[in-house]
Amino acid sequence: MINKSSSIINIGGLSVGIAVVMLIGLWIHNELSYDKYHKNYDRITQVWQHINYNGSISSQAANPGVLAEAIRNEYGSDFKYVLQASWIRDHVLSYGDQVFKKSGIHFEPEVADMLNLKILSGTKDGLKEVNSILLSQSVAQIFFGTENPIGKTLKLDNKIDVEVTGVYEDLPDTTSLNAMGFILTWELYLSQSPWIKNMNNPWSSNFSQTFAQLADHVVLENVSQKIRNIKLDKVSEGERKFKPQVFLHPMSKWHLYSKFENGVNIGGRIEDVWLFGIIGFFVLLLACINFMNLSTAQSEKRAKEVGIRKVIGSKRIQLIVQFFSESLLIALFSFILSIVLIILILPFFNRLAESNIDILWNIPLFWIIGIGLILFTGILAGIYPALYLSSFKPIKVLKGTIQFGKYASLPRKILVVSQFAISVILIIGTGVVYEQINHAQNRPLGYEKNGLVSVESSPERHKHLSAIRSTLITEGVIIELTESLGPVTANWNTNGNIGWDGKDPNFAVDFPNNAVNYEYGKTVEWKIKEGRDFSKEFGTDSLAFVINESAVKFMKMENPIGKKMYWGKTPYTVIGVVEDLLVQSPYDPVRGSIYHLSKWEQNVITLRLNPTKSTKESLRKIESVLRAHNPGLPVNISFIDEEFAKKFRNEKRIGELSLFFTLLAIFISCLGIFGLALYIVEQRKKEIGIRKVLGASVFYLWKLLSKDFAVMVILACSISIPIAYYLMGEWLQKFDYRTSISWWMFGVAFIGSICITLLTVSFHTIKAANENPIKSLKIE
Amino acid sequence: MIKINNLEKHYKTEELQTIALNKLSFEVKKGEFVAIMGPSGCGKSTLLNILGLLDDSNGGSFIFNNEEVIDYNERKRANIRKYNIGFVFQSFNLIDQLSVFENVELPLIYTGVKKAERKKRVHDVLEKMQIMHRRKHFPQQLSGGQQQRVAVARAVVNNPKLILADEPTGNLDSSNGNEVMELLTELNEQGTTIIMVTHSEHDAKYTHRIIRMLDGQKVTENSLI
Repeated sequence: MINKSSSIINIGGLSVGIAVVMLIGLWIHNELSYDKYHKNYDRITQVWQHINYNGSISSQAANPGVLAEAIRNEYGSDFKYVLQASWIRDHVLSYGDQVFKKSGIHFEPEVADMLNLKILSGTKDGLKEVNSILLSQSVAQIFFGTENPIGKTLKLDNKIDVEVTGVYEDLPDTTSLNAMGFILTWELYLSQSPWIKNMNNPWSSNFSQTFAQLADHVVLENVSQKIRNIKLDKVSEGERKFKPQVFLHPMSKWHLYSKFENGVNIGGRIEDVWLFGIIGFFVLLLACINFMNLSTAQSEKRAKEVGIRKVIGSKRIQLIVQFFSESLLIALFSFILSIVLIILILPFFNRLAESNIDILWNIPLFWIIGIGLILFTGILAGIYPALYLSSFKPIKVLKGTIQFGKYASLPRKILVVSQFAISVILIIGTGVVYEQINHAQNRPLGYEKNGLVSVESSPERHKHLSAIRSTLITEGVIIELTESLGPVTANWNTNGNIGWDGKDPNFAVDFPNNAVNYEYGKTVEWKIKEGRDFSKEFGTDSLAFVINESAVKFMKMENPIGKKMYWGKTPYTVIGVVEDLLVQSPYDPVRGSIYHLSKWEQNVITLRLNPTKSTKESLRKIESVLRAHNPGLPVNISFIDEEFAKKFRNEKRIGELSLFFTLLAIFISCLGIFGLALYIVEQRKKEIGIRKVLGASVFYLWKLLSKDFAVMVILACSISIPIAYYLMGEWLQKFDYRTSISWWMFGVAFIGSICITLLTVSFHTIKAANENPIKSLKIE
Repeated sequence: MIKINNLEKHYKTEELQTIALNKLSFEVKKGEFVAIMGPSGCGKSTLLNILGLLDDSNGGSFIFNNEEVIDYNERKRANIRKYNIGFVFQSFNLIDQLSVFENVELPLIYTGVKKAERKKRVHDVLEKMQIMHRRKHFPQQLSGGQQQRVAVARAVVNNPKLILADEPTGNLDSSNGNEVMELLTELNEQGTTIIMVTHSEHDAKYTHRIIRMLDGQKVTENSLI
């Protein structure tokens, strides 16, 4: 019986462990393989710049549109390509009556060469003509199916005709540029944005990206150093105080090392890779501990077998081989089972990790690691019985004078304690992650996100805005709507030339601002703290600012209402102060921001739904009204609360993943403790019988047997709680707006693990305590 | 003290039913010293287990101290057991992880005797069994005879009214065996009722009465006094 159930525990536990480790391994492999699709992976780089705001350096990929050209002119010999590009953004593409919104980018012509795009039809030099377009295979498929797309004309954003000159293989998920569904020419971008040509100094606005491929003979660091002042030399006198420093950010770091703090790369997603790498290592450790634990627990029962085998004439080496081959066989079996498990878990895991991982059947490394795992776990588990038990003198074993003694279970106990310590760390870690998410989610927003939806604006929609508004309000679909430069969930514009009376002229600022209309405040329901909202009753509000509380603090302005501020040289009056609107990261402090009126077309229309109407009905109505006023443009309505929720995606993902691994770790630890309980109860069977004969109650025996386990859990908690406290404290340092670690969480982890342990152990102890003592006393 | 009437016990395996006790009846009076003898498998140990309230029967009556106990549940049986019955086994059944002192102390813990009182009573009984000097040793460090003396000490520490001994000398050489038998005789003389299962005619001579069994039934009963 003990053999059967512990074999199941053993193989089951090890399989789960190996499955988790391989999953994590696959995920890490996936993360590390980012962008390696591009043949010139180790030569491609993006040009970034550090900008200095009063001593604090911020780093960005946004550059002036002339940067690539300047680098080509001045440092051409260090590069194979330097290409200017736009940001990837949504465009409306139409072909006949097919209209789709797809993401695309504008690039200078050599992009196909630099990114080594696999051209399926047409030519890689397809971006020579201004109005040409390269389509990804999937986009081409949508419009043309089996038809040959080359030479066909698509309409871009209902305005311009572009001709398909090439189709390239879709970039895999594991590329940073994989969102790019098509490529347009950079020239087209310039011709569609006349303001670029009209700038006084083309270096004053950072609106595009710059990519480059290094020449074969150069070292990235040296080139990066060389080009660093290229922008500084060209900006206007007023902008020099920002000390822009251009640098190269290599493709190998795009995915995992994308975060900069004060001009220094501080990692990024690589932290997750480490985090899960460590978790994977510990899970494997837990599984191996169990495996070893249970194998050795059985092996002591097998001492007699060893004795008999030796008497019959088995040599020691034969016994060693026997024990090793048994444990290797179990490890092999577990490995096979774990592959089955992975196949079952993978879809779920991919959803959780937002990844698209596959088992790497055809990669030798996968199999090498697999075989390595089998050998590692098999040998680890077999080493004790193979070397220790085989050394017994047969006569001693058979006489029963071999003593496993008081300390025989000590290593086992140490292993179980470390197992529980790891589980408790994971429990607390997961708790803190969720606590932090919860904390940030409950942060005051300064506006009402529920019942708020948004849709992009367009020249047509802007023109008919008041008609759209009055139709929707009259029909009771919405309460109010507004048009603004940026959505309420993000900041899309900042300006440096904002001033106020008493500002130090050398103090560099970069003020987030939003152009809104009169209805903005009413639509988002912001909260006026002082002064008033924009109002049509005052003809002067076109030169008025509403600022947030953080702006008041930032400018150290007392009694701000009526004070003068300046945009360039134009004076504005502060008419109102609103409670901070949380528009950016929920973990960062809110920046001082400005709201001003604009009568020009803006980017976003935000609508406050009428809460008494059904949402589905309202959305349908909004869609039909918008369509009536701008038939060519698809209507994509997004919910502000959903947009807001996206800000938590990364932390939620980490939370869900660590919850997943924590549950697994607890499961594995329970298996471990289950196995240990089985072993200990088995070993103490006779003792339990004797105690029972002498009058011990079931409760007394349960207490006696559970006490040891409770002590182990207490020990595990006292090790893990300080470690968890330290680690999670470090993790929380990442966030400016962070929760404090609440002590009740440690209490919950502690009581939880005690309960889990006692429940697991009780299965065996109660069974043993209820057993008829005569049976156990008969065992000789 | 003990009166059994038509006591039955059978074991069932998948295919066959073994009758261990077949309508067995006898009586043991307070202060008696009784030997139960018979070949292996005749039901002696089964009988002893039922008398010790360790096992249940399939029919009949069992009166212990004027109480019908045949239908008692485990909790009630455990209660009678710990206050009234001491056990001595052939294989001693000492707990290896506990010292001599702690082994003997156990029954007192289960009957809720206070610590100081326990210490005194354990010391008394160890003195009486002449193993006081071994009180800190562990069972594996003692000879078989010493181990059985510890087991007897444990059986009597609670002053039980009845001692059940299952081949107490079976694992001992003759001189150690005699020592244990003399111990039991002494206890009996002090008033303890003893029922002993044995294969040894020599040991049986120490008792007052021999009950001989075969196939779960009593075949003869002869008094030695």
